[in-house]
Amino acid sequence: MSKENEERLNITVKSNTKDLFAFTKLLPSREKRIERASSEPITEDLITDLARKLHPERQFLVIDEIKEETKSTKTFKLVPDPDSKTRELAYFRPGQYLSLKVELAGVRITRPYSIASPPKDALRGFYEVTIRKEEEGFLTHFIWDNWKVGTKVESSGPEGFFYFERLRDLTQIVGIAGGSGITPFRSIAKAIINGTIDAQLTLLYGSSEEDDIIFYDEFNAMEKDYPDRIKIVHILSCEVVSLKNCETGFITKEIIEKYCDVDSSAFFICGPQVMYNFVEKELGKFNLPVKRIRREAFGEVKDILTQPDFPQDVAAKTFKIKVHIGDLTKEIPAIATESVLIALERANLNPPSKCRSGECGFCRTHLIDGDVYINPVSDWRKGADKKFNYFHPCASYPITNLEIKIPREI
Amino acid sequence: MTENNKQKIEIEDSYDVVVIGAGNGGLTATATLAQNGLKVLCLEQHNLPGGVASSFVRGRFEFETSLHELASYGPPSKKGSIRRLLEDKLKTDTNFVQVPEAFRLITTDPEEKMDVFMQFGVENFIDTIEKEVPGSRKSVEDFFKIAKEIEAAFAYFGKTKGNPDQGVLIKEFPNFLKTAAYSVSEVEVAINMPKKAQDILNGYWAYLGIPMSRMNFTLYAVMVLSFAEIGGWIPTNRSHGFTTAIDAKIHEFGGRIEYNTTVDKILVEDGKVVGVETSKGDKIQTNYVISNASPTLTYSKLIHPQSEVPEKAFKEINARIHGLTGFVVYAGLDISAEELGLTDYSFFIMNNMDTEGVYDSWRKLEAPNGLACTILNNAVPDCSPPGTCILDLTTLFRPEAWKDVTPEEYIKLKTKLAEDLMIKFEQATGTSVRDHIEEIEIATPATFARYAHLFNGIFYGYEPESWDSIVPRLMIMGKDVHIKGLEFAGGFGRRLHGYSSAMNDGVLSAQLTLAKILKEREKA
Repeated sequence: MSKENEERLNITVKSNTKDLFAFTKLLPSREKRIERASSEPITEDLITDLARKLHPERQFLVIDEIKEETKSTKTFKLVPDPDSKTRELAYFRPGQYLSLKVELAGVRITRPYSIASPPKDALRGFYEVTIRKEEEGFLTHFIWDNWKVGTKVESSGPEGFFYFERLRDLTQIVGIAGGSGITPFRSIAKAIINGTIDAQLTLLYGSSEEDDIIFYDEFNAMEKDYPDRIKIVHILSCEVVSLKNCETGFITKEIIEKYCDVDSSAFFICGPQVMYNFVEKELGKFNLPVKRIRREAFGEVKDILTQPDFPQDVAAKTFKIKVHIGDLTKEIPAIATESVLIALERANLNPPSKCRSGECGFCRTHLIDGDVYINPVSDWRKGADKKFNYFHPCASYPITNLEIKIPREI
Repeated sequence: MTENNKQKIEIEDSYDVVVIGAGNGGLTATATLAQNGLKVLCLEQHNLPGGVASSFVRGRFEFETSLHELASYGPPSKKGSIRRLLEDKLKTDTNFVQVPEAFRLITTDPEEKMDVFMQFGVENFIDTIEKEVPGSRKSVEDFFKIAKEIEAAFAYFGKTKGNPDQGVLIKEFPNFLKTAAYSVSEVEVAINMPKKAQDILNGYWAYLGIPMSRMNFTLYAVMVLSFAEIGGWIPTNRSHGFTTAIDAKIHEFGGRIEYNTTVDKILVEDGKVVGVETSKGDKIQTNYVISNASPTLTYSKLIHPQSEVPEKAFKEINARIHGLTGFVVYAGLDISAEELGLTDYSFFIMNNMDTEGVYDSWRKLEAPNGLACTILNNAVPDCSPPGTCILDLTTLFRPEAWKDVTPEEYIKLKTKLAEDLMIKFEQATGTSVRDHIEEIEIATPATFARYAHLFNGIFYGYEPESWDSIVPRLMIMGKDVHIKGLEFAGGFGRRLHGYSSAMNDGVLSAQLTLAKILKEREKA
């Protein structure tokens, strides 16, 4: 004990008295400082203002112009709805998408559409989205019948990770697009031309009909005016081809090699799922590092039954989902071959969703009971979400009756 | 939506307590209240728990959003407060590992070049600094002696429930009393610590983010002691791992969290909380609110009507110094840490250890003079696929630096700053990482404002100058309630910022609220 006392430290910062006095003055001096301060609320929050400009939760838009691009494709020019609070459009990165909200037959659903116009046009007050009418699927038919100049459209802010990032990507971009998958590349091409991004684009564009090639003239003109920055190669998969200077068949290793310097290119793929399956096999032959190939999320899997590990025995079944949302608990039907998100939308529960590809996590939901099938290529869940039974309804299919808790739409 | 189709999803019930925000403080407050049988509702504007304590997935990588290491977790043999909370009290299903070393401190200015590898353990701190700065041993030993006395004084504060006996304090904890009003620099000079020894021991300063000439000694000393004694710990599943685990417990205890639900108003009548209203149109009755939002936001934006905010509350938020916001580069590399030749988890890379100068560099939109980096794989080897690793580079900013940034210049600016940070990292460590970026995300102050709705993106709370540090904040506990029924929890709270502090503050706020409710029930 005495030894400890000897060793006991007794420090002095200024002087013994001053140090103790400084302690006793801590609270009174705090009080004094507070007493002297302004009594106004603090309302200026410029960083939050910037965040809201970059990432608005919602943008209220109206169709300003409609252009027929091809026999199956229209471009909708969207501007801020003057009757709404939306005054300016969020800036974005070329390649990003908008999640548009469409209300049909009283049911609200969302669809992600790539922005086809460059970011600079957003500053000038408009976005363009180019939509192809699909043979199957009711939504695009609804849009064809109902979207006119003056139609109001609710949108998310710009979303998604399919964009050129100069710290990561080589500046020689090779875009591989199929069908309406060309839309983000129009934004990228225009952004290259107007200097927003410093890169070159070679676009390998697959179409199935030669009289239905989207942006045919526009890309030709860009290539002609900026030959050192923009190049387009058309690959047609139809039987008879009369178009000159194009390739036929599919986008193979040979075609890629013919038009691109594979070793110094960054590959960006956007198109239907069947194209991914084919192109990825072809690109696989080059043994490129993972970082050199980027894919846009392709949306919902068209036919989940084609997934080899989907439990086929439930294919024809309809299950029940007990849904907890807000204070409401409701039982709804759900078809095994449709995503849980679609079942929630059909039941008019207005669930949150954006990418519809499993990627963004915006529809994250707690699975209280039951089991879902999750397509491995669309499984972007976090480690802890897997552990604690969270799932993304947009990329999950009911294979038993379920009980789930979903957050309300933001 | 057609009328007959409309389904009522609003929340209308009444609750004993409404917690605003599911950040670290909000989560532990909610869990504590639920575990004690109260009817509690936590409202969170984002669709995830945690606030800045989260994770996100890009490609093959799941990135940690903000945690570098927890100071108060510790090994099973020497549990810190957070391990006791998560493991023993809440019994959450979580897994943490100790990070391999305290830090590697690299200073890059030619005249002040340093590269110090610091291992955990008080003796290791003393020995390492003595080796680097011969003759410093006594001063560093003194630093830790005072730190231990402060730790003991806090334990005594706790034992006496915040009403310590002055005589006991003077007799048992004189060094605590005599340093409480001083800055780290003042005390280090007083104990004759050589300048270079100060520089090394000040390595952790960026975790609190205020220059040593202004940082309160008490707070810094206990933090360094905690790291040295029980190590730094991180969850194996990123912060999302433990925040989701707490969420699961809240559910199990009968508590409730509603995501995507922003509180618009805290309704106050005659100086008393009576309810909250949300962006979803919910009208919820409650007499108790614990706000995980900062007092700045709560008083300035949430209290309704504003006339119910006492002048004193506004004076308080104006008197205090708002802390820093941050900037993080998250990189998934297609090269392993081993191939990079780096075995360390935590790097502090500073031009020099002039903390005022570094802090000043955070006022400008230029390559900052200081950053803190982690290579997650060196603590959690399987956090990314073989042949890859996750590198995070963090720096801080005064929010004012970003106030004039326009959306159009934003991406170019953040990309340039991220590049500068990567070059700094490469130069300091002699590695080349930029050729290996497979995935990259860059979080700015606006990103933190976007996801966590932080005022000005500020993720550190009010700055811990001595007059507003942990001692005065704890001493006024209970006397700083300006609206009856309103408590705060989180990084702007009594224990100041940092994960452990915010979580402990949440528990404390829950206990204070619980005590009031139980007292009321007794009366009734």
